[in-house]
Amino acid sequence: MSVTTETSAGAAAGSDAIVDLKTMWIGIAVLNIFYLFIRIYEQIFGWRAGLDSFAPEFQTYWLTMLWTEIPLELVAGLGLAGYLWKTRDRNVDAVSPREELRRHVVLLQWLTVYSVAIYWGASFFTEQDGTWHMTVIRDTDFTPSHIIEFYLSYPIYSIMGVGSFFYAKTRIPFFAHGYSLAFLIVAIGPFMIIPNVGLNEWGHTFWFMEELFVAPLHWGFVFFGWMALGVFGVVLQILAGVKRLLGKDGVAALIG
Amino acid sequence: MSTSKSGGAIGPFHSVAEAAGCVKTSDWLILTLLFLAVLGGYHIHFMLTAGDWDFWVDWKDRRMWPTVIPILGVTFAAAAQAFLWENFRLPFGATFAVLGLLIGEWINRYVNFWGWTYFPISLVFPSALVVPALWLDIILLLSGSYVITAVVGALGWGLLFYPNNWPAIAAFHQATEQHGQLMSLADLIGLHFVRTSMPEYIRMVERGTLRTFGKDVVPVAAFFSGFVSMLVYFLWWFVGKWYSTTKVITKI
Repeated sequence: MSVTTETSAGAAAGSDAIVDLKTMWIGIAVLNIFYLFIRIYEQIFGWRAGLDSFAPEFQTYWLTMLWTEIPLELVAGLGLAGYLWKTRDRNVDAVSPREELRRHVVLLQWLTVYSVAIYWGASFFTEQDGTWHMTVIRDTDFTPSHIIEFYLSYPIYSIMGVGSFFYAKTRIPFFAHGYSLAFLIVAIGPFMIIPNVGLNEWGHTFWFMEELFVAPLHWGFVFFGWMALGVFGVVLQILAGVKRLLGKDGVAALIG
Repeated sequence: MSTSKSGGAIGPFHSVAEAAGCVKTSDWLILTLLFLAVLGGYHIHFMLTAGDWDFWVDWKDRRMWPTVIPILGVTFAAAAQAFLWENFRLPFGATFAVLGLLIGEWINRYVNFWGWTYFPISLVFPSALVVPALWLDIILLLSGSYVITAVVGALGWGLLFYPNNWPAIAAFHQATEQHGQLMSLADLIGLHFVRTSMPEYIRMVERGTLRTFGKDVVPVAAFFSGFVSMLVYFLWWFVGKWYSTTKVITKI
């Protein structure tokens, strides 16, 4: 009998289910709807209130957002890491194979939401920053595009990256012992883009009026962006875990 | 037929159907997260090392553009090939990475370059890369060798770039005279849509004597680009393998 012809291709229903994607879909939907709202906000208030950082409306519509988002992100990041640590499995080595497998699938969902956040931060809002700064002469480090890119989208993907790491570290035996080098790269590498903003803005105090996107000043972002490739190693480690849990007979049954 | 094949419990699963469903869902999750993570990393790398040549049609000249784009673009293509070929024998790493990059770029050019700062798409469309990527993947598939892919594939990656883009770019290289000044249509479009912080004097364009006397700028640039792409391919194949590490360290 071919496995592809069997019914109930999804996981078993109920709380015993190994695969339950509901939380992931909610996370992706929240993220996308939130960023859609942010993009509309940019459309309205970028040109109307974002051209002159000395204007009162800039304070109202942009700096208020900056000073609101930064503390919120700090609280959210620390709160999430704290929650995952506080609720950790204190006897992780005694976890049943079925539960361990479920946690592997949950980790994949964490990483999927993380990669959606990476898309918005590293792709969408970063290249968007290029066209805004080549079009509008800037008079501040905290431009409308920077307030979204550097201080909103980068912290959000960092929170998701650190959350994924903490989830694995506190709930999956393989990741609980020692530190996966690839996972450290995934969690810390793209996060390092945020401190690198310091270099970028310091450099732009010298070169303020022009925006050459390929300028060497920007290559710090490139170096840390490469580290998103750490997902290669993490995926291999997860697959090795699933294969071990399936066992030889399980693998043979699936591909036989 | 074994017990497991008939739907009995296997490993931690209640049935083969449940195992198959779980594995299939996991495969889709892995493909999605890999695609988006590679897209993000590739895009930020590409826009900040080759971006200006890719953003604007008047930067898409005959020398710098076909030199810079393939050299900086072959990086993630090679790394994705190393990961997908070495571990899964999947021969679509380069196309996988390039599709991610192009999707990220096209969304941005429409939603932000056009949608936020009002540049026409004819000024800001991204460079085409799918044909060189397919070439790279086909060479790896046929040869099964990263060395042959670096030598033959990466050379073709550089050489194919300009012909792949020619159907889109040719019209913009038509000559036009404006008030006694000879220029290309690409330059004319660029001059009409002012980029306030991207003035003409920081633009890196082709110059020198070869364009005047030899008129062979494109083939020479493509050949040089292919040569450097070979070297970059080698390097980034091992970068891809390095990022595929499963090493666990005890202390941080």
